Amino acid sequence: MPSPTVQLEKVRKSYDHFVAVDDLSFQILPGTIYGLLGPNGAGKTSSLRMMIGITVPDAGQVRLFGEPFQRGHLRRVGYLPEERGLYKKMKVLEQLVFLGEIRGLNARDAAARARRWCERLELAAWMPKKVEELSKGMQQKVQFIAALLHEPELIMMDEPFAGLDPVNATLLKDVLLEQKQAGRTILFSTHRMDQVERMCDSICLINRGQQVLEGELKQIKARWGRNNVQIEYEGDGSFLKDNSLLQSFNDYGNYVEVRLAPGADAQQLLHQVSAGAKVYKFEMVEPSLEQIFIDVVGKTDA
Amino acid sequence: MRNVWLVIQREYLEKVRTKAFLFTTMFIPALMGLSIFLPTKMATMKSNKVTHIVVVASSQATGDAIRSQLAERSQDIGGKYAVDVDLTASDAERAALAAKVKGGELDGFLWATDDALTARSVTYTARNVSDFFEAAVLKSAVTMARMQSRLTRHGVGAQELQDILKSVDIKVETGEKKSSGEFMFIFTFILGAMLFTTVLVYGISVMRSVLEEKNSRVMEVLLSALTPKELMAGKIIGVAAVGLTQIAIWAALGAVLGGPYALAARGALQGVSIPPATLIFFAVFFLLGYLLYSSMYAALGALVSTDQEGQQLQIVVMGPLLFAYLMMFGVLRQPNATFSLVLSLVPFFAPLLMYMRIMVQPPPAWQVALSIALMVATIYGMVSLCARIYRIGILMYGKRPTLPEIWKWLRYT
Repeated sequence: MPSPTVQLEKVRKSYDHFVAVDDLSFQILPGTIYGLLGPNGAGKTSSLRMMIGITVPDAGQVRLFGEPFQRGHLRRVGYLPEERGLYKKMKVLEQLVFLGEIRGLNARDAAARARRWCERLELAAWMPKKVEELSKGMQQKVQFIAALLHEPELIMMDEPFAGLDPVNATLLKDVLLEQKQAGRTILFSTHRMDQVERMCDSICLINRGQQVLEGELKQIKARWGRNNVQIEYEGDGSFLKDNSLLQSFNDYGNYVEVRLAPGADAQQLLHQVSAGAKVYKFEMVEPSLEQIFIDVVGKTDA
Repeated sequence: MRNVWLVIQREYLEKVRTKAFLFTTMFIPALMGLSIFLPTKMATMKSNKVTHIVVVASSQATGDAIRSQLAERSQDIGGKYAVDVDLTASDAERAALAAKVKGGELDGFLWATDDALTARSVTYTARNVSDFFEAAVLKSAVTMARMQSRLTRHGVGAQELQDILKSVDIKVETGEKKSSGEFMFIFTFILGAMLFTTVLVYGISVMRSVLEEKNSRVMEVLLSALTPKELMAGKIIGVAAVGLTQIAIWAALGAVLGGPYALAARGALQGVSIPPATLIFFAVFFLLGYLLYSSMYAALGALVSTDQEGQQLQIVVMGPLLFAYLMMFGVLRQPNATFSLVLSLVPFFAPLLMYMRIMVQPPPAWQVALSIALMVATIYGMVSLCARIYRIGILMYGKRPTLPEIWKWLRYT
């Protein structure tokens, strides 16, 4: 087994009066996409900052490329911060060239690569413009390019899809999948579970600084089993309150996703639903990550 | 090193290309030019004016004497007098003249009858009575005219009279060594003024530059590629270079525009030679002082989280410079006193005080070398300090540090 690209061992970070991350351990294998999940304020950004050496853990260890963290590693890392991390007054192309240069590229290579990327991400017309003239989504794309310009082996992105419309989100997703094909390792954080579900090989779920779930996505889902039912109906919804059948439910408006109580029979539920409502759809599904998250967090909170 | 250079480059090019830079570079010389040009223009405008006055005298000779004296003296203040002599010294005439002055036909009249002259009390009635130069010219003209007529009456010949009344030239000479020192200390004040203004303008600029990154996430991107020390050193030098560029542009402009005048005035400055060491030390101390204070502003920028906060705390940074400025007089008077030695070695005061000592009475070479070494070391220390504050300060977004926290940060590795 190859040594993991990123490895966290019992990492802890506390600020003045609160603990941002506690006892966080996971590893990311080369060539995989890893998702760091959690609601706002869970400690995702704090974890990422420790992985690129902006902050230092109070306890535990961060290892990159099989060695304890050192600044030299950063040449091989591409980082995209949460929100915008660009000079507002600087022109797009010049900015990219500068950011490429400080990562060791020479000016000519940096410019050539920046141009190529801008064309790829439909930013070519904006290269001579100042960053502040760009929309938030376009700035995010510039930031995205800046992280990839020096062809890093490890790409770390803090909320890369925030503020992007679906078209651009797909564009960036495709780029990331390509990078994975090229053998790069990708770690990104998000609070949007649906994106992770489509892309990640493994995940780590954190809540209030605590690691609540970690591992390969497939295994996690298998562990949860096909205990979920998606129901589309019209009429009486009182069956949702039957605690003998349902452990929990999540109302999405158009449909509800329910989790069966342990030992409960799906057929029995179907009967009960159809007694008071018109059923359009009744499907046994793998739990969505969101469902799992709500389950787990609900449990820890209780 | 490469990274520092890249940061310098970016900082420099970004700042030099702003409209603000262009504006201040052009506006300030224009303002200075105007402030020199306008008063000169106003003075010359006045010189073309002819002041029309009437001299009321008891005899034509007295009147003529006053007229010729006035003609001679008026050149000094760059004006011209048209003088009419009036021999009717009556109250009615006085009233008539006063009316004329009031009506604007006449600029003024001088009541210089023999009685008035004997009493040494001559009256000048005019519309504009606030011009001191004019009063002084009239006074000396009348005094000379009075002397002239008295001497003539005592039988002094015209030739001798002229000789007596001719003014004596005073040649101002300076003793060799000491005077050059007295002249040279001016350079320290120039240095002080330059340091003050440049630090004020560009210190704020460094501070903003540091703040800008801190408040956006740019620094996260930068710090994943640069060390804080590289970033800080690059910023301080880059912004300093912008200030130096502006000064260089002004100096070049000054040389082009003021050069011909300076050449013309060379005669007046003859005998004054500026030793090259004066200028070299000027450059060295200015540069070091500028970098030192810039780095202090950078530290301030790293410490605070908003512009306003930084402006409020500015006084802490400017304080030492202000203090040094005030101490210059003391050092000027006693360049070899112990307090002068001690103060001139303190890096924050050295740019002004050590330079002052060099100008007034050159101290031993080791003291100069020591002060320069101390300044260089302090600048390096400041940069490390900035980097450290910056490094740790960014962990606390938008939170104002307390003093114990700052202390904690400084000891944090």
